[in-house]
This record gives sequence, C-alpha cells and structure tokens, in this order.
Amino acid sequence: MSAAAEIVRVDDLVKDMRPGFGLRKKRILDGISFRVREREIFGFIGPNGAGKTTTLKVLMGLIRPTSGEASILGHDVGEITFRRQIGFLPEQPYFYDYLTGREILRFYAKLSGVSQDRRERRVSELLSLVGLAEAGDTRLRSYSKGMLQRIGVAQALVHDPTVVFLDEPMSGLDPVGRKEVRDIILRLRAEGKTIFMSTHILSDVEMVCDRVAIIAEGKIRYEGAIDEFLHAGEPQVDLVFANLPSEAAARLEERFDAQLRGHGERVELRIAEKDSREALRVALDAGAELISATPHRVSLESIFLSTVGETGAAEGSR
Amino acid sequence: MSGRIWAIALNTGREAIRHKLLYTLLFFALAMIAFGTVLSTLSYVERERMMQDFAFGSIRLFSVAIAVFVGVGLIHKEVDRRTVYTILSKPLSRAEFLIGKFAGLLLVIWLQVAIMAAFFAGISLLMGAPLGFAHLAALALTAVELALVVALATLFSAFTTPLLASFFSCGIWLAGHLTRDLRDHGAGAESALVRDATAWMHRILPDLESFNLSIEAAHQLPVAASDVWLPALYGAGYVVIVLASATLIFERRDFR
Repeated sequence: MSAAAEIVRVDDLVKDMRPGFGLRKKRILDGISFRVREREIFGFIGPNGAGKTTTLKVLMGLIRPTSGEASILGHDVGEITFRRQIGFLPEQPYFYDYLTGREILRFYAKLSGVSQDRRERRVSELLSLVGLAEAGDTRLRSYSKGMLQRIGVAQALVHDPTVVFLDEPMSGLDPVGRKEVRDIILRLRAEGKTIFMSTHILSDVEMVCDRVAIIAEGKIRYEGAIDEFLHAGEPQVDLVFANLPSEAAARLEERFDAQLRGHGERVELRIAEKDSREALRVALDAGAELISATPHRVSLESIFLSTVGETGAAEGSR
Repeated sequence: MSGRIWAIALNTGREAIRHKLLYTLLFFALAMIAFGTVLSTLSYVERERMMQDFAFGSIRLFSVAIAVFVGVGLIHKEVDRRTVYTILSKPLSRAEFLIGKFAGLLLVIWLQVAIMAAFFAGISLLMGAPLGFAHLAALALTAVELALVVALATLFSAFTTPLLASFFSCGIWLAGHLTRDLRDHGAGAESALVRDATAWMHRILPDLESFNLSIEAAHQLPVAASDVWLPALYGAGYVVIVLASATLIFERRDFR
C-alpha cells in the first residue's frame, strides 16, 4: 500500500494521565499503532474506557501524546491549517443553546474559513442533509438529543472536509435517526471522503465499516478488514433436521466433531462446511428430514467479546 | 482582526449579554450614579464635584465587578461544557480562541461603560456640572484599566476554576491600586528588604492608579495628552504580556 493512501497514521502512541490531583499517572494509551486508508470507513471499536475518545482527542489536537506520533493527511496532529480538511463530531456534543441551528452552522462555517458567498448555501444544504431544514431557525435549547446529534454531524461537514472523525455518531438517535446517519456516512464515502468512526454499537460497524481496529485497555487488539474479521477461521454450516434418530445424531457428533442442539423432532447441527455434504447424506439415510441448511455467520459481537475477553484474561493471568 | 477571531469575539459578546449578573450590576451602577446627586445635596459646596467623584468611583467599581465576574467563566465554561472540542478542531489556534474570547468580553464591557458614561453625562448636564477633556480622558483610561482586568480574568480562567479566578483577579486589582502607595511608604522604611520588596511589587504588579484621572476630572484640573497616552501605552503593553502568558498556559492544556 502506498504511503499516500494512508490518511491517518498512528505510531506507538502513548498517553499517560493523572486521574486526579496528587494521584499517580495512569497509562490510557499503551503504544497503539494503526492506519486509516483513503476513502474507507474505519471503525474504531472498544469497550467503555478502552481509550477510544482519548485517541480521538489526540488526533484532534485536544490533548498531547506522552510519546509516539500521529498524523492526518501527512500533517502532524499539532498543526492547525490542515484542519480545514478534517471534520469532527465529539461524543455527546454540546453547542451554544441560545443560537439557532442555522446560526451555529454559520458560526462553525466562519471558523472553518468557508467563504461568505458559499456559507448560506452550504448551511441550508447541510440542514436538509441532516433532516433539520424546518428546525433551522429554532434555538438549540429546544432541540432533542437526536436533533443535537444531527446538528453535530452537520457542523463536522460544514466545510466539506476530506476526512471526517465521528465519536459515537449514532449515540442518542432512534432507529430512524441511526439509519439516516448511516446513510450520510455511506454517502460521504461515495463522495470520496474518509471516515473514522469510534463506536461501541457493533451492528452499525458491521453495516458500514470497511476496516476496524479493536482497542481494549489502551492497546490495539486487532486491525484489519471487517470481512476478514467476520470470516476468520473455518467456514461452518447450520443444518436443521426433523426426526433425526438419536443414534444417528450421536454418530454425526462423534464423526464430524459437530455441535448438536435440541433433540427429538428438531435438531440443529453446526458443522464444518467441508463435511456438510457427507453429514447430510448420513442424516437423510437415517430417515431424518432436512428443514434448513444455512452458512453460519459469526457476529461481530461474539468475535469482539472473545477478542477483548481473551486479551483481558491473558493479561489477568500474567 | 481575523475572521475567526471576530467570529469567536462576536459569539462571546452574544453570550456575555445574556448574563443576568451583567444587567444587575449595570442597574446598580446607574442607581449609584443617580444616588450621587442625592448625596451631593448633603454638601453646601462643590456639589457637582462630589457628584462626579462619586459617579467615577461607581463606574470603575461596577465595571470591574462585571469584568471579573463575567470574565472568570469565559474559558472555564467552554471547557466544562465541551464546546471547546468542536471549536478547537477547526483551523483555529488556541491563541486566536483566547484573543477572541478576550475581545468579545471587552467590547461588551466597553459598551457598558459607554452606557454608564452617557448616563453620567446626562446627569452632569442636568445639574449644570462641567464636562470637558479631563472627563473624556478619565473614562478612556478606565477603559484601558478594564482591558487589563479582562485580560487578567482571561488568564486565570484559562487554568483555574471561576471561584479561584475571581479571587485572583480581585486580589490583583486591589493590589494594583495599592502598589504605588506601598512603594512610597516602603521607600521610607529602614529595612532594605521592605524597600526592595515594595519597589519590586510596584514593578511587577500593574500600577492601576496610573489609570485614575477621576480627581483631575472632578476638580477640573488640567490633563496633558501624555497623561493619557503614556498610561494607555503601559496598559496595552501589560495586556499583551498577560494575554501572551494566558496563551502559553492554554497551549499546554489537555482537554480531557
């Protein structure tokens, strides 16, 4: 992969913080490294307190790393001017509630250097994009949590950035709102933008992300394509039978190392895909009736929990 | 002023004028100026001088109170409510942000002084009290002093809580008004340590009495141009140093 295609580079990033006055420093980020490539939706996932928001704050220049390097579009994150090319939605954003939706977007557009002749058009476009065209002249104090989240997305996009960083973008949204934000994210990628999304809602990651990094206890546990992640290991098939005799079930379990669930009228068998044809023959010969045969799909959640759990257990045993 | 600083200043101004304390203090300031006319009736001589002296004191005291109590929350509120996250992720330096906040509040404070000054001028005209260059010069230097107080409030607000920031700001303001007297008294002390300490305090702390022309104004004493521009220059220099210090501290801050 060429260096130019790497939009975000994080190398050996360490951040130590003092939890309170006079207390000992705690390592929040423990030498994390990862890459975000051009035009991809990168999911940054991890449990609460894993270091997701701290990483994002380092990338936004809001906190300084203890050691290590982080760059966006080839610029050190401490630089200022390149920020015209990035947008940021923090977790649970707060805005000046005495301003209207239109006024707050105008304010952020000015800060981002959007020219006066483009500003009004861009603000109206974004209010429509996030579904707030009719609420644009209402003060933010009357906005619901979901509406504030949408205005947060809009302010991150007001200057048409190349890279967008979203910290828990679906937080506080109802199912319709979540779908709308997902659609916006997919639309941004279609427009050629790169999206870095930190979240703990795994179903959203599964639906939109191209690649993911899992962070737990300040360390990166996995980084790679989401498809590779979901399809790691040998493919399996779920076979569901009716009237499978118990002797045949026991034979299948032993011969193919299958996982068996249920008994009597309905038996479910999880088996390696390569053995499925032979297992099917054995079951049908024994007089069973096939109800369904579906490829087994491992959920991101189960892999995530096992990844985070395994590393946690390994560290605990040290 | 760059567009970004102006955007921050404008927004800070909008936020400041929503502060209820500002209106309460402004009301009391105007009431005190008006009360000066009542108070002056107690005197048989120089009623106008007494009224104007009292009015100048009220303008200074209440303007400083507004500057401190609104100013100390200036940065702290932005960090506490996390509005600073979205603002500083834009192509805006922390120095620009800080200067914008300072400028926004200062414009509001100056507007308040202008309102008080207009009220004071109205009452002076009604009483037939004289108004001239000395009055204008006294008000101009009050404006410079307020710039310094707002800069100090911004500095303390950049790294501490509003309570501590108001304590520090008020402390320096009081010390700044006493430092000249301290130096003069200290100069006559027998101990070299006291002499040096009071001299150094006068050098380091802002000499806020250099911005006080209220006696000259109330007594119709002559005021030279240098009585205005020299303290103004001194005040501007001090503001630059205080804001540079605030920026240095703010640049190093982590927003957790």
